[in-house]
Amino acid sequence: MSAPNCLRGLVRPSATIPISAPRTAAPRVAPIALVRSAPFSTTAINARRQDPNQQGGGGKGHVRQGKKLKLGKFKKNAVESKGKPPLPGERKAYRKRITLSNDNAIPVPWLKDLDADDLASAKNIARVLALPEEVQDQLRASEAFKPTQCWGMFRKPSLLVRKESVDLMNRMQASVDRKQTLRLVVTGDKVTGKSMMLLQAMAHAFLNNWIVIHVPEGQELTTACTEYAPIPNTEPVQYMQPVYVLKLLQAIKRANEKILAKTYTVSGHPELPQNITPNTPLLALCNAAKEPDSAWPVFQALWNELTAQGANRPPILLSLDGLAHVMRVSDYRSPAFELIHSHDLALVRLFTDALGGAVHFSAGGAVLAATSRNNAPRSPSMELSLAQREAEQTAGKEAAEVPQKDPFFRGYDDRVEAVLRSVQVLRLGGVSKLEARALMEYWAASGMLRATVDEKTVTEKWTLAGSGVLGEMERAALLTMRI
Amino acid sequence: MMASSRHGLSSALRGISRRFDGGKWQTLEQQFQSLRLSPSLIRGRRCLSTESESTELVGQPPITAAPEIDVEVLVERYRIAKHARPVPVSPSYFSRTPTFNDRYLALEKLAKTYANLPVIPAADAERIAWKTLADLRQSFGEPVKATDYVKCLAIVKSLHLIHPELKPDVVTEALQEFKRDVQAFLNVAKPIPIDKFGRALGVGRRKSSTARAFVVEGDGQVLVNGKTLADYFGRVHDRESAVWALHATDRIDKYNVWARVEGGGTTGQAEALTLAIAKALLAHEPALKPALRRAGCVTRDPRRVERKKHGRVKARKGPTWVKR
Repeated sequence: MSAPNCLRGLVRPSATIPISAPRTAAPRVAPIALVRSAPFSTTAINARRQDPNQQGGGGKGHVRQGKKLKLGKFKKNAVESKGKPPLPGERKAYRKRITLSNDNAIPVPWLKDLDADDLASAKNIARVLALPEEVQDQLRASEAFKPTQCWGMFRKPSLLVRKESVDLMNRMQASVDRKQTLRLVVTGDKVTGKSMMLLQAMAHAFLNNWIVIHVPEGQELTTACTEYAPIPNTEPVQYMQPVYVLKLLQAIKRANEKILAKTYTVSGHPELPQNITPNTPLLALCNAAKEPDSAWPVFQALWNELTAQGANRPPILLSLDGLAHVMRVSDYRSPAFELIHSHDLALVRLFTDALGGAVHFSAGGAVLAATSRNNAPRSPSMELSLAQREAEQTAGKEAAEVPQKDPFFRGYDDRVEAVLRSVQVLRLGGVSKLEARALMEYWAASGMLRATVDEKTVTEKWTLAGSGVLGEMERAALLTMRI
Repeated sequence: MMASSRHGLSSALRGISRRFDGGKWQTLEQQFQSLRLSPSLIRGRRCLSTESESTELVGQPPITAAPEIDVEVLVERYRIAKHARPVPVSPSYFSRTPTFNDRYLALEKLAKTYANLPVIPAADAERIAWKTLADLRQSFGEPVKATDYVKCLAIVKSLHLIHPELKPDVVTEALQEFKRDVQAFLNVAKPIPIDKFGRALGVGRRKSSTARAFVVEGDGQVLVNGKTLADYFGRVHDRESAVWALHATDRIDKYNVWARVEGGGTTGQAEALTLAIAKALLAHEPALKPALRRAGCVTRDPRRVERKKHGRVKARKGPTWVKR
């Protein structure tokens, strides 16, 4: 309240008396009756409507009585402003934010942090283990957490060790022991934990001092939402995505800082903006990319260093989520306005080459990809190839029939088939009841599931979730409100 | 009076029959055997009577026969009037409800006539749906009084309890008119068999959906049209209502379900499954029926889409109000 108003209130108690009213007609006593007593109305508009005697007092002028011609009959009332609208990008940031802890959740006393070999030992199957702080930061830097996962419900981000995860970690470990590369595609139904399986593989890699390069969403590369430019002197023409690559480089740098600082270049890179001499830490090489312009050459130099033969390198994990998006023709156009195949994008090609087996890591490693069931384009070749690989894997046990191409269908893609010719396939489904029980006990101990965890409850949720599909169990037990 | 004597007899019989074969009514030989007097009692009485006869015979005058009765003289002596007014054949000739009255009187006469026939316990008699008061009025076309109807039906029911092996044909015919045209009690549900694989097939309907559920003993797996429950029903609520019968009876980890559903929408299909699974579950464990009924899984929900009416936008929605 401003001071002049307050003072005026003190000086003249009846501020609503019209000045023009003749003093004689309105004796001294009358205005007191005219003084408005507190109107029972919350809004200014209603307050005006309640007081018909008030004329001209508010400075609005004369109000005509009787019938009026309403011209703006069909015009809707102007929407009242409801405060400041959110800034551009604010809503999306809110939607995409990742919360990894909940201070209101009860800390689980028996929860143990993950160790380097915990995820690979079979005795940990059907146990819930927590991610150490350091690994949390690394995973966050490489965007392994997704906003749709229920991290924000619990005190500490934790993982359920499944039979399949132990299987995958053992395969990764075996391939590193033989200095080979594991090439594997994680597939399965909706919300069965495919991205979570990638996250577990990454956690395992971080704990065992691997270098992890993770592409969090395949669609960011191919839906024409990031800048691209042709790479000179390539035949056929390849395209780089400088802005995305810069972001990726920074993510790699933040996630793998310690290991990159201990790994050194074997050759010089004079073509880069900073002259990188041999025996420079790879971290310095990553730091060389300050601008999108230099991002792709730096990334390529980094990749060449990582895959250099005979050098002392840690194992490498290369992973990508949303495989179907990179297994199709992208939304980018060439200068001739023709659609570019995703495998002509340099970063995608780098990944697909590795998945197809063209790249050899000196200390071994793994190339993992996960399919997605949300917002995934149809990729008939990929579906067929994965089905074929799966049938071939099980062929040893029972003579399963390998699916063949439909001879009357034209939508197959040879380049995709070439990439997926020799990958392994890990199919995820529902968890067993033992694993479901371990998970539900963790939920109950965190105070998120308010029910006794016994055989009956476990089976009920397990059944409602379609034989233990993890995401559906979360929906049935945690996300559905019960009143 | 007659009713009380018959009740006494029947209750005596019932007591005996309960003792012997637990509630089932007996054959007639058994019933009569229980009524027969013991031979020793009969012999004793005979002895007494012969003794008295022998004492009375001493000193009696010789018996002389009475004179012959002349019927014509008697008729002349006791005639009241030379002429008589003709009387209608039916005693209910002057009433408003002759048809019903005739039946009523006939039933009363039958009841009096066959009052001494043995009866069976009411629980063992065949269940019959008798005509209601409205039905009776309709079929006779007469304004039958409610009190008369109650009295009449009491007689009907007591006649119905006569032992079926001894029930006279006249009684059966007389009761025929008081039976309802459609006998709901004859409509017995067929029990659901459990086949050699241990499956019970239940069928359920709701709205326009039909579900067939095969229920076997298992560990809680459910397949609906070849998909898992989570795949087939997007809503958690629908999944819960589909397996509600198993959930409400704590049997969700004891059975597997394989179901085909067709027609209708998701809610209808889910609730049709509830009924189908409940019925199949009842084939495995009939004792669960009260629990399932409490859970609301036994009765078919008969509600369908209400038909659209003319002058309305939908079944009830009125058209938009337009000025002029």
